[in-house]
Amino acid sequence: MLLIGVIAFGSIWLALTGQLVLYIHPRYLVFTVIMAVVALAFVVARVLISGRRPAHVHAEPGHDDDDDHADDHSHNEDDDDDDDLAQRPVQRALSIGALALSAALALGAVLLPPATLSAATAAQRDITQTTVNTDAASVEDAAGADAATFARYTVVEWSSLLAQTDDPSFFAGKVADVVGFVTPDPGAPDDVFYVSRFTITCCAVDAQPIGIPVYLPDWQQQVSADDWVEVVGEFGANRSATSSAVIALSPTEVSRVDQPSEPYLY
Amino acid sequence: MTDTRLRGLETRPLRGRSSTRGPRRWWVIAGIALLAAIALARVLSPVPGGLLPDRLQDGITLAISVLVESMPFVVLGIVFSILVRVWMPEAWLVRVLPRNPWLRRMVISLIGMFLPVCECGNVPLARGLMVRGLTVAESMTFLFAAPIINPITIITTHQAFGFDDGILVARLGGGFLIANLLGWVFSRHPQPDQLLTARFAAECRLPAHDESGSRLDRSIRLFGRESAALLPALFVGSMAAALVQTAVPRDVLVTLGSDPVWSIVAMIGLAFVISVCSNVDAFFILPFASTFLPGSIVTFLLFGAMLDIKMIALLRTTFTTRTLVQLGAIIVLASAAIGWGVNLVA
Repeated sequence: MLLIGVIAFGSIWLALTGQLVLYIHPRYLVFTVIMAVVALAFVVARVLISGRRPAHVHAEPGHDDDDDHADDHSHNEDDDDDDDLAQRPVQRALSIGALALSAALALGAVLLPPATLSAATAAQRDITQTTVNTDAASVEDAAGADAATFARYTVVEWSSLLAQTDDPSFFAGKVADVVGFVTPDPGAPDDVFYVSRFTITCCAVDAQPIGIPVYLPDWQQQVSADDWVEVVGEFGANRSATSSAVIALSPTEVSRVDQPSEPYLY
Repeated sequence: MTDTRLRGLETRPLRGRSSTRGPRRWWVIAGIALLAAIALARVLSPVPGGLLPDRLQDGITLAISVLVESMPFVVLGIVFSILVRVWMPEAWLVRVLPRNPWLRRMVISLIGMFLPVCECGNVPLARGLMVRGLTVAESMTFLFAAPIINPITIITTHQAFGFDDGILVARLGGGFLIANLLGWVFSRHPQPDQLLTARFAAECRLPAHDESGSRLDRSIRLFGRESAALLPALFVGSMAAALVQTAVPRDVLVTLGSDPVWSIVAMIGLAFVISVCSNVDAFFILPFASTFLPGSIVTFLLFGAMLDIKMIALLRTTFTTRTLVQLGAIIVLASAAIGWGVNLVA
């Protein structure tokens, strides 16, 4: 009861502070908030009626206000749940452990500040372009687009184009201006980093990192992994021999920025 | 959590007395007050970020994200379950369904069309249906068909894949087949009660009229009981899913991609780990469609809708471990077989 109260309360609070998008896709915001309100209403109602006695005492012998369903029906059994569990100490230990863990996570959820996923998770989820959704921008559309369109392109569109073609002539003369966090290239960690973002279809669990390779030898002197940066530059053949990326951005400008209020892209 | 502590303190002879009720209620209120105080403290003096190592912080973020994403579906499921158990006329459902067991299970596997809840919300609903007179096997049929054969899943799958490679058709047909297969297999069990945990079997044996109080009172109390039974499982499931995700590199699974057999195994692994709701998993898997064979995508969409880490934890509230192992084996084999078939055709 308390658990669902915490989660419902937490969801509403996160929604009010605009931080719920750190966990789920915006299209579920309304649904989540409505259901959280429903849950809270039930929790409050449950606390309110717990002082009242039920009409037929025999059905629930003075024990109506507890959360454990097995206890509510103990009159129907020779024994109720407590004995059932006492016979199996392992199970008892497990259920207490489960409750302790739940309590810890609930506390963690309330105590810790909400955070975005970090570059550690991005690196571990294969940032190379094998799993990019190529619907975001097509080569045909981009071929005739103007500079204003390219200026609007985010990491999503560029990585989509990079996944479709690695022909340097296609990228020649196109200027990218993107914001993302820094993830080192696993193949060439000293010369190349990815300006990366997570894309989300449902919630942070399915977050898939995408990124654009940036060729900048000794980039660690300017920025470090996990920093949010804005990178401006032109695409060209990747000059790093060990990186798996064929095309990379040659930055004219790399500046540190604050984390955007909606860190995930959709 | 106050519950366990209290149960530890409370001795049996005290049980019948109304005096136990007061303290318990105060525990809940104290808990809420404590949380409010913590929340207030957090607002007034925010804890600085970067307190925890990245991996741990990411693990917590993932766990909370699974929780926040599933919570509304579980609440919706509990609300539907309350409607079925408290507000639906008694025996109406049992009367209205066809008598022939095969036909009956087929109709039951379509109930999801009217109650669009994803798989985690289906657990409380299936519990409600069992209490309301469906057999264990019949509610299993519902439990595993409804996440796939429901309007939201059909729409999202169609949006993601259209009719390409028969993915949508294979998902719907496959879900229907597997659910009915499960229903048939478990309907042959001589003592279906043994499939259930002792706790839940006790709840099923309780005659409905024995519940006291007005319908509203009963609804509220039922909400308390169901959420107390399911929420700890949901918490544990979320944490397990987050833990596995931060520990197992995802590219291990993705690189298995294009082999007709291994890609199916990889997809089952991915679906099990990822624990995304069936209503949205089609969008999640769409970017993988270029690397994986269509049959493997079908396997992901079938298996992932029925079982994953979070679901195992939720189902354990209702079914015994032995039942879950049997269920899991059938679902793995059947969804892999269907996926393999689609791979051969496509």
